[in-house]
Order: sequence, then structure tokens, then C-alpha cells
Amino acid sequence: MRTKAHVPYLFLMPAIVLFSVFTVYPIVYSFLLSFQTGAGGNMKYAGLANYRRLLEDSIFWKSLSNTFIILAVQVPVMLFLALVLASMLHSLVRGRAFFRISFFMPAVTALVSYSIIFSLMLAGDGLVNQLLEAVGLKAVPWLSHPVWAKAAIILALTWRWTGYNMMIYLAGMQNIPDSLYEAASIDGAGKIRQFFTITIPQLRPIILLTAILSTIGTLQLFDEPYTLTRGGPSDATLTIGMYLYQTGFRYFDFGYASTLAYVIVVLIAVLSFVQFRITGGKD
Amino acid sequence: MSKSWKLFVWLLAAVLVLSACGGGGKSSSSGASGGSSSSSSSSSSSSGDAQDPVELTAWAWNVNVGALNEAIAMYQKDHPHVSLKVEDIGRLDVYDKLSTGLAAGGAGLPDIVLVEDDRIHGYLDAFPNGFANLSELGFDQYADLFPDFKKNLTSLDGVFYAMPFDSGPTGMFYRRDIFEQAGVNPDSIETWDDFFNAALEIKNKTGVYAFPADKFKDDANFRMMMNQLGVYYFDKDGNIDFKNPKVIQAMNNMKRFGDADLVKDVNGWDGTVSATVDGSVATIPFGAWYYGTIIDQAKETEGKWGVFLLPAFEKGGNRAANLGGSSWMIPASSKHKEEAYQFMAFFSTTPEVQIMAMEKYGLFPSLLTAYDSPLFTSEVSFFGGQKIWQLFSEEMPDIPTPYYTKDYAIAFDEAVKAQADVFNGKDPAQALAEAAERLASRTGRAVNEY
Amino acid sequence: MSPKSAMYRLVSRLILVAGAFVSLFPFYWTAVAATNPSGKVFAKPPQLVPGSMFLENLFNLNASIGIFRVLFNSTFVTCVYTLFSLTVCTMAGYAFAKFRFPGRNALFSVFLVSLMVPYHATLIPLFKMMASWEWINTYLALIFPNVAYPFAIFLMRQNLLAMPDAVMEAARIDGVGEWRLFVSIVLPSMRPALAAAAIYLFVYQWNNFLWPLVATSTKEMYTLPVALSSLIGLSRIDYGQVMTGVTIATGPIVAFFLILQRQFISGILGGAIKE
Repeated sequence: MRTKAHVPYLFLMPAIVLFSVFTVYPIVYSFLLSFQTGAGGNMKYAGLANYRRLLEDSIFWKSLSNTFIILAVQVPVMLFLALVLASMLHSLVRGRAFFRISFFMPAVTALVSYSIIFSLMLAGDGLVNQLLEAVGLKAVPWLSHPVWAKAAIILALTWRWTGYNMMIYLAGMQNIPDSLYEAASIDGAGKIRQFFTITIPQLRPIILLTAILSTIGTLQLFDEPYTLTRGGPSDATLTIGMYLYQTGFRYFDFGYASTLAYVIVVLIAVLSFVQFRITGGKD
Repeated sequence: MSKSWKLFVWLLAAVLVLSACGGGGKSSSSGASGGSSSSSSSSSSSSGDAQDPVELTAWAWNVNVGALNEAIAMYQKDHPHVSLKVEDIGRLDVYDKLSTGLAAGGAGLPDIVLVEDDRIHGYLDAFPNGFANLSELGFDQYADLFPDFKKNLTSLDGVFYAMPFDSGPTGMFYRRDIFEQAGVNPDSIETWDDFFNAALEIKNKTGVYAFPADKFKDDANFRMMMNQLGVYYFDKDGNIDFKNPKVIQAMNNMKRFGDADLVKDVNGWDGTVSATVDGSVATIPFGAWYYGTIIDQAKETEGKWGVFLLPAFEKGGNRAANLGGSSWMIPASSKHKEEAYQFMAFFSTTPEVQIMAMEKYGLFPSLLTAYDSPLFTSEVSFFGGQKIWQLFSEEMPDIPTPYYTKDYAIAFDEAVKAQADVFNGKDPAQALAEAAERLASRTGRAVNEY
Repeated sequence: MSPKSAMYRLVSRLILVAGAFVSLFPFYWTAVAATNPSGKVFAKPPQLVPGSMFLENLFNLNASIGIFRVLFNSTFVTCVYTLFSLTVCTMAGYAFAKFRFPGRNALFSVFLVSLMVPYHATLIPLFKMMASWEWINTYLALIFPNVAYPFAIFLMRQNLLAMPDAVMEAARIDGVGEWRLFVSIVLPSMRPALAAAAIYLFVYQWNNFLWPLVATSTKEMYTLPVALSSLIGLSRIDYGQVMTGVTIATGPIVAFFLILQRQFISGILGGAIKE
């Protein structure tokens, strides 16, 4: 039974129309802007000047390396933590709903209070350091030391998004047949071995999905450096997303800001592709 | 099936309601958004009789909103046809909205917008046609009512683009009880050397830091000291002045306090407020506007506060400086430039308005004629009966001009990095020289050599 | 039960409880700050016992931002957006999953690639366009951008791929029209997926900040995040009000989540496990 050729287009029509007007048009506009220079209202085409400027812009390279350091540490740590939490939660009989909402809450936190609460907690004499000192450790210069500031960003990001990813894994785990675990138990495999030999392989496509989503989020990272560290100290937490904002809205160089945006797009596209190949995804 | 159909009926209804509300929302606000293109009806009316009602719109943040609303009530006694709708917007949010509107050719902008002084030249350079020329509208006649530094900040090449509002004459807000406990007399502090010794004494006896600083994200103290010494990031001609011996002197002063562990590292605005409330710092060097923060957040410390001027770098040296302050601008896209100008000129140059803003909202006026009011010689009980407003108003005429230029934001970025390097152990002259080089390559400006 | 697995149970419970504590603590602190006067949030040691100022803070908050109007705006915009977007994205996901047609993969890729563009880059052109239509400061401007939300399209497509084609073929042979097939056969089987997509859309729109900030110009049209941000002035911030507002803003989203969470779980499941 063949359907008429125009049917799928009818279903797609609303999405295509809305998408073209509200998404494609602004994207094309900003893409063209990435070939222009000038301040504020006065823009002129300048070919690849902005893209050439990237090569010599040491702040851009710094922001690029910061972003990649955060990406390389934060995404794997967060996803692993989310997997562990999800598998623990999955084997729980009672109280699941409570833990689910508890872990998900940070993802819906309002930025206004997020920045206030986290800067108070991570201050030199803040709650986190008081806690560290109480257990006999040394206070940590969160937010003021180049390395620790990155750690603070990673910590805050992990707090905010682990539960979000955990929810996705939790869903996936319900599709793993119990018989796999039962068989492993009979063979004498402990919980930890089961986690590595059954859970992770079974969830591979989902892990790929979350890895790509997290990569997109991290490469566009703006909220945390903007609210917690202002990109400092000495640009140690300046991300490309933050540099893009500063360039456009603080230095009014909208052309160059667009160029930075398309660097981000290319990086995400390449990384998504690589992740796809590594995990052997199809489709 | 019935459920799915219900969904679609719902959706259809929702979209209908939505469009209706959208239209409704717009018509109720069409007068309000006077600057936007949606007000074609009100723009045609403004070209008619001058007494036709005019509704102006303004963007401002926080206490400034209250001041504007009270001012319009005063203005309406003689100008009943003018009304004002003020939108209360977060301080940084104002800039994001303003930049977006200017970049979109002036769409959606209000008739009046509050801008901090350090951002004015950046906007004027990026959007040369974005704001009304106030000299053309007649503001030059009021020029002498304001101190020189404020005039320089609100004008470009001799043309006014902003109407001066509040200023931030600086002072050291200090805790009387902590000074007493350490046996230090604040009146004896005249120079930074005096203050350094006093700070050591206080730290020894009470364990309290000298002052807070957001060491790695803000250089407010450094800027106050530079301003005090009559230098800044740039000189009068816009050249980079990071290698000026006086700039280095200011940074050395920061380093001295840092090395002696007298500076409390705080995180951003909230961290500074936190230190103010918990009594972990003996002084807070800031603009006069910090008065409002102290009385709001540290209510329990009433009577324990005092103010003295920034210590001088040498005996008898300048102790006047400014930090912060804002002014009013009129976007060129405004359909009611003339009316907006008339009202804001009234706001900016009428002592009663400025005194009201000061008395009720703690917004320290730049208008020199306002200081004749008895308010400026009154005793402030929160500050132990000290006449703090007199202190600040007498400071105003001596404040040197800080030269911000259009590249202030980038210079600030580099200066903060230099300060961070210094607190991490680098030599101040070296750190500033490196920052000067980076700044030169980012802005194409020349660096003054000494 | 072996001692080893008893150990696992104990350790895993402890970790879960600790994790939940870490996740919830900032919310608790925020809620406590909402019941105290402004400066209290800075007290040392931290003030962790609720005070009695909540009603006063709420009253002040309402005086400064009109919390009920703002709450209505956010709820209205988010609900209409979620329904609207859900419809559009489900239809699109259906077309991508269940039909073969020229340009399908290219079109799908275009949708996905758009996710990669940072939102700061498209803010100004979007604003310019809306301003020329005189949509600024209307609900239309708040709702329309991102109705075609690529992640939701992706999610629905993945779920629909898992649906067996046989059901649809049978219906077509029976002469059921395409639209009725979609509405009365496909949609009812997609309830979990719809719930999942609804949560993502709802969360996205409820927390959306930058666009509503530039797209609204009067207080009457503010959404919650914009109104809360307006409390952050320069030197005078009433933290009691801010924290009260934040606490209130968290409520609806928790309620929405609780209502949909069961279906949400199996909704994502269907989507992600397939391919």
C-alpha cells in the first residue's frame, strides 16, 4: 500500500515553516555577519578577515583550550556519575520517586539564585571550605586560582546536570532484560562487574546520545563562567561561549562574535561525528 | 481517539486565545513602547499640538525607578500632559537589551535609558548615531552645574550625549567598633602608609582584614587609587597609560596590602556584601552609593559605621576619587526626544529632584547646586551621627577625570588580569607592562613609555 | 543474602542519600533565605533555620514585580508553547520516522545542526525580525521562536521508529485516512514519549531567560526569570525577595515533573534504546 507522495510534507509543513522563519533565517543572517567587520550599526563585508583574525587571537585560543579542558574532564565524570547513580537507583525498591525528583531538581534551578548560592558556598570562607576544614583538609581557593576555578566550574556543572542525564539512563535501564543480570549473578559476577559488563554495553546508544548533548552544552558553555567566575582569574575559565558574549555584547564586535559562533558549530559537528564513530553508532 | 482530538481542540483554542492576547497586549502597550516602531499612532499625535498627552518610557534599575517616578509627579505640576512609564530592569539586563535594540537599528528602545558612566563612551563609539545629541537640544547651558569629571564622562568631543545623574565620591566605610577595639583612631589616618600601619594593628588585635577585594575579577580599589592619583587606564589622548609610574604606584599599594595578608579575597558583589555583613573587614573603600547597601543588609550594625576619605599617597596629597555613577541617555530612535529631553533636563538640574533622590534612595547627586540643602549638613544616625554627606559633597569638586574611552571594557579586562597576576606573585610593573602590550594589540592604541 | 551484596546495598543507599542531600541543599538554603530578612543569607555560620519573614518577603516581592501577573505570564506562555511545540514536533518526528521521501535525511540533519548554533549569535537577527513585525512585547514573540524544537523532533522520531509499521499498514488497507491514522492510532500509543518531550519543552521554556528579556519591554509581559533578574540592581538588592521569588518559581516545575515523571521514564526509554 503506497501513500501519496505529498503526505510526509504535509506533516512536516508546520515544523518547516516555523523552523525556516524563526531559526534558519537568524542563523543565515548571523552566518553572513561572520564575514563582516565594523562596530554596532555599521557593518561591511570583509571576506575572511574575521576568520583570519582567529588565528592570531590568543584569547580565542585560550578560551578554546579552557573549553576543551572542561569538556574532557567534566563530561566523562558527570556521565559516569550519572550511570552509577542510575544503576543504584534502578535496583532500589522504595523511594525511587523521591530520589528521581531530588536528582533532577538542579537541572531546573533558576540562574538568579544559582549564582548567589554557589558564590557564597565556594567563597574563601564559604560553606564548602568550612566543611573541608572540619574534616581536616585545607581550604581551597575556589574561584581565585586558575586550576581550582576550573574545578569549581566543573563541580557546579556536575551538580546541575548529573541528574538530568541520570534520568535518561534510568529510562534506558528499564529495557535491559533482568535475565542478563540473573545469568551473571549465577556465574558469580558481582554488582560492580555487572555494571561494566552488562549495564554500560547495553546502554551504549543512550550514552552516545547523552555524550553528544553534553558536548553541545559544554561547547556553548556560558552560564557558569558568566555567573561564577566572570571568566577569571586571568581568563582561566573563559569559555568560547563567554568570549562570544563579551565580544558581541560588551565590545560590540558583532561580526567577530558571529565568527566565534560558527567555530563552535564546526567543533560540535566534528566532535559529534567522532563520538559517533568511536561508539560505533549507526543511523 | 477522543483524547487526541481533545488535544487538538485545546491547541486550536490556545492559539486563538494566544493571538487575541498578543494583540491585546500590544494595544495596551503601544503607547508605552514609545520608542518602538509599534507606536505609529502616538508619533503622529506628537507632531500636532504640543499639549497633546505624551507618554514617555524609561529603562532603569532598582532605586533609580523610584526616583524617576517621584520626579515625574513633580514635573507634572507644570506639564500635566507628560506621563512616564518606567520599566524596572536588572542592571546588566539593561545593557543586553540596549545593545540588542541598537544593533537592530533602534527597534524597541525607550525614550530614556540609564547608563553607567564607564559604559557611555563605549556605546557612543559603537553606535555613533544611536543617541540624541543633547547639546543640540540645549543642554550646554547647564554644563557649569556639574563637576568637570562628570562633564567629561557625559560628553564626547564637546557634545553632551548624557545628562549627569548620580556619582560615587569615594570613601572608606569603616567599623567604629573594630577600630576602637584595636585602639586605632581613624582621624589620625592621612596617608596610605598610616592606613597600612593601622591595618596591621587591627589585624593583630582583632584578626579582621583591612578591606575586601575581588582579587581576581574586579579592580575597584585599584581604579579608585588611580583616579585619586589623577591617572587611569588611558590618558587624555586615549593612549594606554599602564606604564605610568603613578599607575604602578597604585598597583604596588594593592600588592603591599595583599602581601601582608590584609586584603580579604571576596567573590563578586555578593562576597563584598557578605564581608560587610559578617564584620570580617574593618573598612570598605567604595563609592557613596554603598551607604544604601550597608543600611539595607547590615541593619543590626546601626551606629557602628563611619566614613573617612581615601588616604593620600603622600601627606597633603589628593584624597578625592570617584567610583561608579550613572547618567541618562536618550536613544536617537525616540519619537519624543524633545519631551524626553525637557523632562530629563528638569530631573538633572532641579535641586529638589536630586535632593529627593538622595534622601529617599541614597543616590548621590552630581548637581553642585543640590549641596546647599540642609540635608548635606545633617547628621546620619546609622553612621554614629557623622555628617557623611558633607564629607562626600566637599570631595566632589576635587575629583580628577578618569579617561574611560570606548575601549574601557577591554582595558578593564586586561587590568583585572594584571591585578590577578600581581596577587599571584608577579611584580606590578612587569604585570602592568605585559597587560599594556596585550591591550595595545587588542585595541591598536599606543602605549605611553616613561 | 551474601555479605557482599549487603555491603553493596548499604554503600549504594549511602551514596544515594548523600547525592540527594547535595542536590537539594541549595534549594533548602534558598527556601530558608526566603523566610529571613535580606542580609541573613550572608550570616556566618549560615542561617539554616527557617525564619518568619516569608509572608513579608512575598508581600514586598509582589509590590516590586507583581508576582502573580508574572507567574501567570510564565505559566501561560510555557503551557501554550509546550502544547504547540509538542504538536508540531510530533508531526515532524512522525514524517521523519515513518515515511521515505526525497530530502528526508538532509532535512533531518539541518534540524539537528541548528542545535549547535549558540543562542547569543541569533539573538539580534531574531529581535530585528520580530521588531519589524511589531511582535515585541507580545505573547507571540515569547511563544513562537523554537516551536520547531529539534531535540523534541529527534525524541519523537526515535520513539516512532520503534512503533511497528504493521499496525499502520493494516489501517491504511482498511481505508483510514492519513490524518485520522496519525491522530487516532499513532498518537494514543505515544503517550509516554509525549510526556517526555513535554517535560523537556516545559523546562526549556520555563527557564528561558535571554530571549524573554529582550523580547519584553513592559513589566506586564515579563516572565518569571526576567522579573527575578530585575531585582538585581546595583547596590541595593533585597535578597529576601530574590530568594522568595526563586522558591516560588520552583514550585510549578516540580508539580509538572511529578505529574509526568512516570510516563517520562518510559518515554525516553522508547526513544533512546531503538538504534
